[in-house]
Amino acid sequence: MLAGIDYFIVIAYIIGMLLLGLYFKKFVNSSEDYFLGGKSLPFWAIGMSIVVSDIGALDFVGVSGQAYRYGISVGNFDWVGSVPAMLLAAFIFIPYFWRGGMYTIPEYLGRRYNQKVRTIASVTWILFFALDLGVLFWASAVLLNVLMGWPIWISIISTAGVVGLYTYFGGITAVIMTDVVQFIIMFIGGFALVFLSLYEVGGWDNMVDKIATMGPEYRNHFDIIQPQNTKSPFPWTGILFGLTFVMANAYMIGNQSIVQRCLTAKNEWHAKASMIFGSALKMFIPILVLFPGLMAVVVHPGLLDGDQALPMMIKSILPPGLVGLMFAAFFAGLMSSVDSLLNSTATLFTKDIYEPFIKKGADDKHYLKVGQITTLVLLVIGVATSPISSDFPGIYVAIQTFMSYFQGPIFAILLLGIFWKRTTEWGGLSALVIGIGFAVYLNVFKEQFFTIEDPFLYISWWSFLLGVIINVSVSLMTKKHTEEQLKGLVFSSKILVKNKNV
Amino acid sequence: MFNFDWLSGVSQETAKMVFLSLYGVIGLLVLLLPTEYIYEGIAKEDRHWWNNLKLWSISVLAILASIYYHF
Repeated sequence: MLAGIDYFIVIAYIIGMLLLGLYFKKFVNSSEDYFLGGKSLPFWAIGMSIVVSDIGALDFVGVSGQAYRYGISVGNFDWVGSVPAMLLAAFIFIPYFWRGGMYTIPEYLGRRYNQKVRTIASVTWILFFALDLGVLFWASAVLLNVLMGWPIWISIISTAGVVGLYTYFGGITAVIMTDVVQFIIMFIGGFALVFLSLYEVGGWDNMVDKIATMGPEYRNHFDIIQPQNTKSPFPWTGILFGLTFVMANAYMIGNQSIVQRCLTAKNEWHAKASMIFGSALKMFIPILVLFPGLMAVVVHPGLLDGDQALPMMIKSILPPGLVGLMFAAFFAGLMSSVDSLLNSTATLFTKDIYEPFIKKGADDKHYLKVGQITTLVLLVIGVATSPISSDFPGIYVAIQTFMSYFQGPIFAILLLGIFWKRTTEWGGLSALVIGIGFAVYLNVFKEQFFTIEDPFLYISWWSFLLGVIINVSVSLMTKKHTEEQLKGLVFSSKILVKNKNV
Repeated sequence: MFNFDWLSGVSQETAKMVFLSLYGVIGLLVLLLPTEYIYEGIAKEDRHWWNNLKLWSISVLAILASIYYHF
């Protein structure tokens, strides 16, 4: 349980977030304000928002636990698994999306391929985000229940109330600006834990020496590159092919909640800069989430469950006051993930489903209202489905696995769509459907195909490769698109120089 | 094949060089981007060296490479 000062910090944080979020209500007068912040936001706010919405409380605990078990190689996900992809996004993809005035990634796929590809991509994201919402509400409730002693349902409704209110009224501007504060709190709380933990273990060199003497299972704990035949889920081949070439790009380029933030930038320079600034900040994330797990190996050796590493470190290292700040940092991670999911799902539904299929050509105020009502409906769905997490404890992993089916094929069609003129609508559609099917097949029969314990990196690579092959083969057999259809949608070296209309 | 067994003979040191080379190639590609494209969105009279996104990108890649070199 928290001490009095911790309790005060957490309550002050929650109320502060609510008030800050509601302040941005006055800037929302149109659907563009609601979904794209009126295209007025600066790069630093977007960069911070990208980073904080990417890292949630569940990741804090999970990554620390993996660092406890597997060592520093977990950091690959935030280092090589982010920086190259964010640079590719910044210099190639984001300028196209921003110049095209797009709201969603499926909108690009719809223009480049056809409406079916757009709808499949959009529905998949909506399903994923909606399922994730319930899981995150439950995780917030468990945190509030354990640390503040609040009953589960009161905790769920208060989280939904605070995040829902500012997201409903303030749209993506409120989401991004509250993310900035959440980012600062997360970094202060996280670094406090790292510095105090380092002091506890006698400094970095002392920690490395102690871990090196703990036995052969810790031999590779400080090797960022793991051998191909490692039993951990992170062999260098998986990190290079699965993570660097596919999953990282699919996440940074094909994830609506990430890309939508860049589209709120006030101009093209800010859109590009937001991704690059975000990539610089991302390099600090392993320090916050990975180092406490490593230091727990020394402070709390022999834990049966690695996910206990971070909670144990907080309990044993942090003084009153900083525990409250760390908890606020956890809660910040959860709130930023929830508000991102709410706003992005509302955007996907309004722009990709409601506008083309339910009511075309309505006035802008109507779509603004639809976006707000969708946010409310999602809140209700999230609250109603949150107990599923209690009945099925593995649901978070199941949702992430479900999403990994989608990553390879979606990146295959995005990559070929923007770089290869000859790609056709039927090539894209068949690559998406067959690629997803192949990823599901590999996952169901993974024991027959793979030797590592969790082959999601390999699955994303092979489903990506098949997606590319199918897309190329089918495209060559079907009628190519006209130059007029491809205008502004396919990469041309001309975009790098003068002609902005390419 | 699915487990990349054909790369089992590659040592960790060589694999590390592959990652470092990748950062080098990305850095080179960033440097090849036209300066006009890098500043797109900022009026000509407001352009300063600190707005140069090539510098930002190269700095980030240099830090990333040093992390991989060290570990």
